[in-house]
Amino acid sequence: MKRNYFYLCVAAVAFFEVAIFWLSVELADPLPSVIAIVLGILGIYLAKMYIDEVIEDERTQKITEITALRTLQITWIGLFLFALWIIIDALGEGIRRFNRPLGIFGFRLLILLCGIIVLYVLLSLYYNKKFGA
Amino acid sequence: MKNKIKVYRAMNDLSQEALANEVGVTRQTILAIENGKYDPSLILAARIAKFFKVRIDDVFLLDSIDE
Repeated sequence: MKRNYFYLCVAAVAFFEVAIFWLSVELADPLPSVIAIVLGILGIYLAKMYIDEVIEDERTQKITEITALRTLQITWIGLFLFALWIIIDALGEGIRRFNRPLGIFGFRLLILLCGIIVLYVLLSLYYNKKFGA
Repeated sequence: MKNKIKVYRAMNDLSQEALANEVGVTRQTILAIENGKYDPSLILAARIAKFFKVRIDDVFLLDSIDE
């Protein structure tokens, strides 16, 4: 398969996803959307296997690695500052006038960010072991 | 790291696209290596050298040992 056919496949899958999304909204049922996304990812993965040309190599992988890491770092710091802002704002008028919904949202966001760190450490340990440490 | 890929390509009358296909990378990667913007892995360097039937250090050379 040529590279351009692959991109056409991706566009077709995206169109299919949008159609199913609207169907899900009409039916008020998220299940078709979830199934469509899983099928779409599988479809793209399979189509990628049949490309004759090289579209990914070590340079693109390195770019992806660095981009992913920077995105994670920026997103994490941004969300952490946002969570802190919310919590301080919720506590702004003292603990007795604690803005409960806002504060809970801030704390949940902090827990999510802690979860991301835990996942990062676990994956880091796994890959460290895999690559010889 | 400097390299002589362009010279070897010219000697073998080879386009970037053709070399990229031979060593299994994209044309952009060959372009980036030639321009000194990307240092290839040892495996890719070995593949390129093998394709031109020369040693790796005939194609790739360090600017200085500290680099």
